[in-house]
Amino acid sequence: MTGKERLLRALEKRGVRHIFGYTGGAIMPVFDCMDKLGIFKFVMSRHEQGATFMAQGVSRASLSTDDPQVGVCMATSGPGAMNLTTGIADAHMDSVPMLAITGQVATGVIATDAFQESDVVGVMMPICKQTYMPLEADEIEKTVHEAFYVATTGRPGPVLLDIPKDILNQQVSKDYKFSLENLRPNLPGFFYHPTPARAPVKKALELINRSERPVIFCGHGVISSNAGKLLQALAEKAKIPVAFTLHGLSAMPADHPLSLGMMGMHGTVEANRAISEADLLISFGMRFDDRVTGKLNEYAQKADVIHVEIDPSEIDKNVATTVAINADVYRTLHVLVGDPMLTAKPRRRWHARIDEFRQVMADDLRTEIKGGLGDEGKLLMKTIVSQLSDMTQGQDIIVPDVGQHQMMAARFYNYQTPNSWFASGGAGTMGASLPMAIGVKLVRPDERVWSISGDGGFQMNMQELGTIMEHKIDVKIMIFNNGYLGMVRQWQTLFFDGRYAGTPMLSPDYGQIASAYGIPYRKIQTLEQIAPAIKEAIDLKGAIILEFICDPSEIILPMIPAGGGFDDMIVKRPMPQKKGGKK
Amino acid sequence: MKRRAILAYLLDHPGVLQKVSMLIRKKMYNVDTLTVCKSRKPGISRMTITLREDDEARVSQVIHQLEKFTEVISAKELDTEHSYWREAAIIKIEIDSAQLEALRSEYKFEILDYKNHDTHIIQIAGSTRKIDAFVAQLGEEHIVEISRTGVAALEK
Ligand SMILES: Cc1ncc(C[n+]2csc(CCOP(=O)(O)OP(=O)(O)O)c2C)c(N)n1
Ligand SMILES: [Mg+2]
Repeated sequence: MTGKERLLRALEKRGVRHIFGYTGGAIMPVFDCMDKLGIFKFVMSRHEQGATFMAQGVSRASLSTDDPQVGVCMATSGPGAMNLTTGIADAHMDSVPMLAITGQVATGVIATDAFQESDVVGVMMPICKQTYMPLEADEIEKTVHEAFYVATTGRPGPVLLDIPKDILNQQVSKDYKFSLENLRPNLPGFFYHPTPARAPVKKALELINRSERPVIFCGHGVISSNAGKLLQALAEKAKIPVAFTLHGLSAMPADHPLSLGMMGMHGTVEANRAISEADLLISFGMRFDDRVTGKLNEYAQKADVIHVEIDPSEIDKNVATTVAINADVYRTLHVLVGDPMLTAKPRRRWHARIDEFRQVMADDLRTEIKGGLGDEGKLLMKTIVSQLSDMTQGQDIIVPDVGQHQMMAARFYNYQTPNSWFASGGAGTMGASLPMAIGVKLVRPDERVWSISGDGGFQMNMQELGTIMEHKIDVKIMIFNNGYLGMVRQWQTLFFDGRYAGTPMLSPDYGQIASAYGIPYRKIQTLEQIAPAIKEAIDLKGAIILEFICDPSEIILPMIPAGGGFDDMIVKRPMPQKKGGKK
Repeated sequence: MKRRAILAYLLDHPGVLQKVSMLIRKKMYNVDTLTVCKSRKPGISRMTITLREDDEARVSQVIHQLEKFTEVISAKELDTEHSYWREAAIIKIEIDSAQLEALRSEYKFEILDYKNHDTHIIQIAGSTRKIDAFVAQLGEEHIVEISRTGVAALEK
């Protein structure tokens, strides 16, 4: 029995079924062994970055199923491993469990600048939850199990295993024994406090009962711990409105009467205004990142803060807490909801005030969505997303890329299915959507999956159409083609006097691209074409590409400028700026 | 800025020191000294970091971030009131013997070596302030080479 076989057997034991990756000199013994064993479905990406996002898709989408899995990606040494960095850094920012396995040059030549040698552990250390380099075949199996434990326990994150080629091929020792049941990883420094302490919970309940203007924050931790139902129960029991972080979306139905929608830079008026007037923020599983808070010294000045968070280093990092509960979100919500001390206050004035906030942009948005066309007479993204939402009753899975279309998808799809929104948030990696949607579809085969990209992001990983073709992956691909790096263009419109430097962009003929991969394609240019195209995609079994010709002038509002406070929120479209740039 | 000392116990694993130094760089902490030695327990090292920071929240961030590493078993701040902070220095100095004796009666250092009649190697231990004062009084022009250990700290 060799190291590589122990490696694969350990993955099997951990319930891994898909392996995403790309072969090469240092990892090929593992691929060879994988082929012989025949226990995994190997999905070859067309670029190693694609494999990382596919693996992320598996982890993110399966955590709410009966069969949660950790996504696994594999690459060879040197360039293969380096191509993994973006997707690993992305998983690290978004607390996504993942296992990356790289082959390394043989121990005999390590540190000699051997062919395709790079210091993978050195590069990955700051962007991984943990990194390992086993130096004996006997260590491999134990290390894989420890890696899974670390990746999934507490705040999840990516873990890297860099294994020299000779160690992969090495025979385990004669008296090698391993038993998972008896495995006790030696991690004296790994702290994990899932159970909330009684004292802060009591204090939190007092604050909740006393507050007149509370807001609940639903963060990624609610999704990661599958606590959406409990959060909704808390909100309903205590009659408290809920604002969502980008990653908290879909934890609760988006049209729930207590939902304020997304908070932060492109959050709704009602969420952001409610936060600035609140007297209590009850936040679950989030890290108060700058896209959420804006200028910190102006943030929620009137509010006490209850912060429930599994990672102690996030508590008091950006926002000072009144009550800190360092525990698992699910368990804490379970205790809070079940506590007889929790009272229901009608808080009529607060809800009336929030209804006022809801009206600020409601008419403008309704008119815009209904009109459906921008200044140049092309389609509006918000109209497309709204129609998609209506036609799918908000039941489908949305995997956006990064940019304006992402914010539109966050704001205007009426999420009904728990854990149905998967986005690159903390890193905001363009190109994430297409490969991530592949991973998502593999673990949620019975649900419809929409990958929505801009023309910029789509071109970053469109080579993965090859993977879709080869494995017949049924993802519905939408390209919102506005001829620009739209989100950057929006900043240029608002803050750079309309000079469009480095943002106009030509696209290839996506129809020809689609046909080269044998994927059906529709181009949608008018309002009347939207519904039939979506209907066709829904009815079709298999992948399809829908290219929507979108209006570059559309902007996503409201917007809190970077570094600004909530009072700087832009809710009205500014007067048209002077023209610039090539287009 | 206020001087702080942080004491941490950590697994003696490859790469831990790199993680700590990367953390210092990433978070832009103002670190003065970092010392690592074996602890009484095999496999566990003892690390003392001194840094300059006025902001309490940033200090507790250092501690939280250190504790986040699976290799770090515990970390805490040592305050000046309840702990000793000491360092040692070995200094090669060029000075005449009379001056050296005068300094010795004040600073109580040990002479390790006479290179020749006016070059000596001495060893001095004490608080950072004491060593700073000694160096200042000696004067840069008399110092050929100096090696300081960084701060070791122990609770009372
Ligand atoms: C890999 C990467 N490079 C650059 C950026 C900066 N960026 C953020 S959004 C954006 C524009 C995206 O354009 P597009 O994909 O066309 O989407 P749109 O905003 O037009 O909907 C850019 C360049 C990024 N987030 N990721
Ligand atoms: Mg675009």
